[in-house]
Amino acid sequence: MIVVVGLSHRTAPVEVREKLALSADVLPELLARLSARPELSESMFLSTCNRVEVFAAAPHAEGLLAATRAVRDVLAQQGGATGDEAMAPYLYERTGQAAVRHIFRVAASLDSMVMGEPQILGQVKDAYDAASAAGTLGSVLGRCMTRAFTVAKRVRTDTQLGAGTVSISSVAVELATRIFGDLAGHSVLLLGAGEMAEAAARSLGKGARHVRVCNRSFDRAATLAGAIGGDAVQWDALADELTRADVVVASTSSRSYVVTHDVVRRAMKERKGRTLLFVDIAVPRNVEPSVHGIDNVYVYNVDDLEQQVALGLKSRASEAEAAEKIVAAELLDFESWQRGLTVAPVIVALRTRTHDLLLAEVERALTGRLKHLPDADRATLRQVIDGAANKLLHLPTTRLREGASSPDGADLVRAVVHLFDLPESPSPALVTVTAGADEAPPPDRLPH
Amino acid sequence: MTPVLVEVLLVATAVTYATACGLFVAFLANDRYARAGAVAPRVLLVGTILHAVHITASSYVLHVCPVEGIHFALSVASLLACVIYLALRRRYRIDVVGAFVAPLALTFLLASSLVGLGPPDAHYQSAILPIHVAVNLLGDALFMLAFAAAVAYLLQERRLKQKNFEGFFRKLPPLDALDRAEHRFLLAGFPLLTAGILTGVYWAHDVETGGATSVARAVFGYTTWLLFAGVLLLRAAAGWRGRRAAYGTIAGFSFAVLVLLVYLIRSETSAAPLVAPMVTARVALL
Repeated sequence: MIVVVGLSHRTAPVEVREKLALSADVLPELLARLSARPELSESMFLSTCNRVEVFAAAPHAEGLLAATRAVRDVLAQQGGATGDEAMAPYLYERTGQAAVRHIFRVAASLDSMVMGEPQILGQVKDAYDAASAAGTLGSVLGRCMTRAFTVAKRVRTDTQLGAGTVSISSVAVELATRIFGDLAGHSVLLLGAGEMAEAAARSLGKGARHVRVCNRSFDRAATLAGAIGGDAVQWDALADELTRADVVVASTSSRSYVVTHDVVRRAMKERKGRTLLFVDIAVPRNVEPSVHGIDNVYVYNVDDLEQQVALGLKSRASEAEAAEKIVAAELLDFESWQRGLTVAPVIVALRTRTHDLLLAEVERALTGRLKHLPDADRATLRQVIDGAANKLLHLPTTRLREGASSPDGADLVRAVVHLFDLPESPSPALVTVTAGADEAPPPDRLPH
Repeated sequence: MTPVLVEVLLVATAVTYATACGLFVAFLANDRYARAGAVAPRVLLVGTILHAVHITASSYVLHVCPVEGIHFALSVASLLACVIYLALRRRYRIDVVGAFVAPLALTFLLASSLVGLGPPDAHYQSAILPIHVAVNLLGDALFMLAFAAAVAYLLQERRLKQKNFEGFFRKLPPLDALDRAEHRFLLAGFPLLTAGILTGVYWAHDVETGGATSVARAVFGYTTWLLFAGVLLLRAAAGWRGRRAAYGTIAGFSFAVLVLLVYLIRSETSAAPLVAPMVTARVALL
C-alpha cells in the first residue's frame, strides 16, 4: 500500500533535481497538498541534494495506481509550468514491497551517491519529523519509516558500510587536495550553516588556516562557527569573502544563484588570479555554472562528485552485500506485519458477524420463549453467548493471523471472507502482487 | 679514455633515461605499478650520474671544457635540469614532473650527440665565455623544468576543467604545486638568462657583422627574455597565473631551445672533422 515516486542522482541530473527541491519553509504547504489528495492516506516528502521523493500510502491496495498518479500530479505542480512532461523521463515509481525496500535502502544509505554516508539518515529523519508535525503520517507509512530507521541502525552497526566512508565532505577535501595539495595555509568559506555545511567544515576545516561561515542568518553562522572554531561573517560581506577564501563550500537553500559569474569575475581580479575552488553541494545549485569557465576557478556540484565517489564503491561491495541482506530480512518482517495489518479488518468483521448473529438469536429468544427471565439472568445469558463466541473464534482468528503472515496467507484470508460472506476488505494479495512489478533497479545512467 | 667508452656511456645514459621514462609512464598508466613511481626518480638519478660521467669523458676526449663552448649545450642543460629536479622534487611536490623531465633529458642528450660536437670557435674564446655559457645553461635547465611543470599544469588544469577525475594524468601533482614550481623555476632562471644576455653583449657586434644565424640567435634570445619577463611581470601585476603563465612559459622555453639550436647549427658547420670519428665509433658499437 506504500508508494514511492521521485527522482534521484541515478535518474536525473542536478539541473532537473533542483527544480523539484524545496526548502523547509514550503514543506508544510506541499505536505498539505499531498494530504488533500483523497488517493493518499499518508505522505512524506524527502528532499536532499541527491533525491527528491514522495513516500505515500494508498488507503487500500487497489488504489496504488491512483496514488502514484496523485503524487505525480503534485510533483508536476511543484516542478512548475514544465512540470509533468519535463519530469516524466526522470521520475521513477515503486509500489508495495519494492517501495518499502527502496525506503529501507535510502535510509540505510545504500542508494546514496556516496554509499554509507551518514547524512542521509538525518535527512530522512527530518523529513519524517516534518511529516509527523504536519500530521500526514499514519500507521502504515509511520511504521515503515520507524522500521527503516531500524534498518539503517543495523546496517551501521552490523556492517562496515560506513567505516572510512567517503562522504561528500571528504570528496570535497580530495578535490581541494588535487588543486591545492593540502589545505594548510588556505582559507575555507562555508556558504550556509546547515548540516551539510557542518559536515564539510569538520572535514575541510581540519587542515585549513581559516574557516569562515557566511549565512543569511548571522546567528546560525555564529553558532556553527563557534562549534567548529571558525569565524562568522555577515551575508553582505560575501563578495569580499570571495577575495580571501580558497575553497568555498556552498550549501544554502537558496532557490537562486548565490554566487554569480560577475561576482566571481570581480573577485578574481582582486585575487590576482589565485585559484578558487567552489564545492557546490546545494540543490538547487548556489553557484552559477558559468563560473567554472573563469580562469583559475573550479566549480564542482553534487553530480560532479559522483565519479570520484564511484571509486570508493568497489571496495565496499562486500559490505553493501551484507547490508542488502539486512534490508531483505527487515523487509520480510515488515511484510509480515503488513499482512497481519491487512487481516485485522477481516478478523474484526468475522467476530462482529458471529457476535451479531448469536446475539440476535439470543435477543429473539429473550423476547419470546425466555421473556420471563429476570434482567440478571438475561445479562448472564448474553455474557455466556459472548464468551462462547470468543472461545469459538479464538483458534480460527489465531490461525488466520498466523496464516496471513505467510506468503500464501492472502488465499486463506480470501477463503474466510468468502465462507463467512464478510464485507470486501483491502485485498492483502495486492500488496505482494504489485510488489515485484517494478522490481527493476533504477537506470544506472541518466537519460540523454 | 677512448671515444668508444664515451659512446658506451652515451648509450648507457640514454637507456637509463628511457627506463626512467618507461617507469614514469607505467606509474601514470596503471595503479598496479604504484611502485614504479618511487623507483623512476632513482633510475633517473642513475641516468644523471651516467650523464655527468659521459659529459666529463666527452670533454676529456674532445679536450673541451663543457662551459667553454656551446658544444655540450643541450646535453649539459638537460643534465642540470635533472639535477635540479632530483634535488627539489620532494620540496616542490613535483615527483611526477619527472615524467616530463626524463623524456626531455633523453631527447636533449640524443639531439646533442646527433647534431655533433664541434671544437671551440677561436672567435668566441674569451674570459667571459665560461660565465656566459654557464649562466645560460643553468638558466635553460631551470626553464626546462618550468616548461615541464607548465605542460603538467596544462594537462592537470584541462582534466579538472573537464571534470575528468580518471585517466592517464590523474596522478599529476596538485595544480597549485605545479603553478608554484613553474613560477619559482622561472624566477630562478630569469636572472641567469638576463646575465647570459648581458654577458652576450660582449659579442654584440656579431649581430651587425655576422650572418643570419647570429641575428636569429640574438632575436630569439631577446624574445625569450621578453616572454619570460612578460610572464613574470604580468603574474605580479595582473594576476596572470595558471594557464596563461603556462602558455607564456612554454613559448619562452621554445625560443630558448631555438637559441640553442641556432648555436648548434652554426657549430655543426665547423665541426665536421671531429664529428667523423665519433660517428665511426658509434657505428662500430652498433
